[in-house]
Amino acid sequence: MGATFVIVLREGFEAALLLGILYAYLAMIGRAQSRRYVTAGAVLALGASIAMGVAVSVISGPLADLGPDVIAIGVIFLAVVLLTWHGWWMGRHAREIRGEVQRRIDEAHARQRLWLVGLIAFTGVFREGAETVLFLWGLLVQMDDAASWRALAGGVAGLVGAAILGWVVFQGGRRLSVQRFFAATSVLLLLLAAGLLSAGVGKLQGLGLLPAGDPVWDTSWLLDDHGALGGVLTGLVGYRARPTALEILAYGSYIVVAGTAFFPAVFRRKTHGGAIAPVANRQR
Amino acid sequence: MRWKSAAAVRQGLLISLLLGATLSATPALAQGPPSEIPVTIENNRFVPSEVKVKAGKPFVLVVTNRDAKSEEFESKDLRIEKVIPAGKTANIRVRALKPGTYPFFGEFNPKTAQGQIVAE
Repeated sequence: MGATFVIVLREGFEAALLLGILYAYLAMIGRAQSRRYVTAGAVLALGASIAMGVAVSVISGPLADLGPDVIAIGVIFLAVVLLTWHGWWMGRHAREIRGEVQRRIDEAHARQRLWLVGLIAFTGVFREGAETVLFLWGLLVQMDDAASWRALAGGVAGLVGAAILGWVVFQGGRRLSVQRFFAATSVLLLLLAAGLLSAGVGKLQGLGLLPAGDPVWDTSWLLDDHGALGGVLTGLVGYRARPTALEILAYGSYIVVAGTAFFPAVFRRKTHGGAIAPVANRQR
Repeated sequence: MRWKSAAAVRQGLLISLLLGATLSATPALAQGPPSEIPVTIENNRFVPSEVKVKAGKPFVLVVTNRDAKSEEFESKDLRIEKVIPAGKTANIRVRALKPGTYPFFGEFNPKTAQGQIVAE
């Protein structure tokens, strides 16, 4: 039971965290009534995960061998693009949603955001969705003894645990001040996107489409990415115990390039030499 | 912050160089079909649990899941994750490896499903 609990919790963790942030984000910009965009994205992803699970079980041949990899890599890079776009946009418009009074960002901007937020929800759930569906399905078809019932209970408890985690992030996020919330989530989304990018690069290396090379360092003695904590950090911030040079390069350059786009205020302050420049700088 | 953007440009250049190197290296993939190595999953274990391969040559692991539930073949070092539903066979392409040991495991039964690829 414990093992299946951990497996499902780990698969669901990233999705739950992302959904929690997205729901809180909508509440923060004063558009809590638009939750259905996130919900629709998540539900669609669930449907797509089940369809993918069924497809993988039914089809075989080259399509089954390469198809899931191609889709997985596609979803990863799509998520990176969406998160980058979103982070960049947030950086530009942070000022508009800075004050409690000005929480409501203007209608047109918000509408443009909503489908993007829904898409981010989709990628977050779909990424590990098909895997989780197949895992739980495997538990369901083996309902012949007490041990398998306990395993299924563990799996369901894992799903519930992930959902609770998302709820805690949602509630906690809403209670933060607007500035803190956007600062914290921007950093988290930056790290998440950097981790996704390097994971995508790693997958391409695994398929032999990018040169792999030796790991540059090995921190598995400190924190193994097989373990519970290491596994969670892998999904969340792209932790790797034995990263390749290309993965480090992708991660590092993403942090630098996207970091400047996500936090323009931080960088502008330095170039202009003013102490409180970000508020003074008019953006559009 | 100027040096940072310069570093970013350099990194970007490096990436495009590496990408270029990959594209020019792809003809190597065309040299004959890679060898296929069968592995079965039975009772939540890999059989055989140790797979010997030639270093420096890509190969294909043909993994058949004989169990009644799905398993995920995963190797952190090789950056491979592949779900294999019950009764199905998956062809997993593995890149050319340097001599060494590369562990893999079944994500859904990590306690029992353990194995390693030995490249020599």
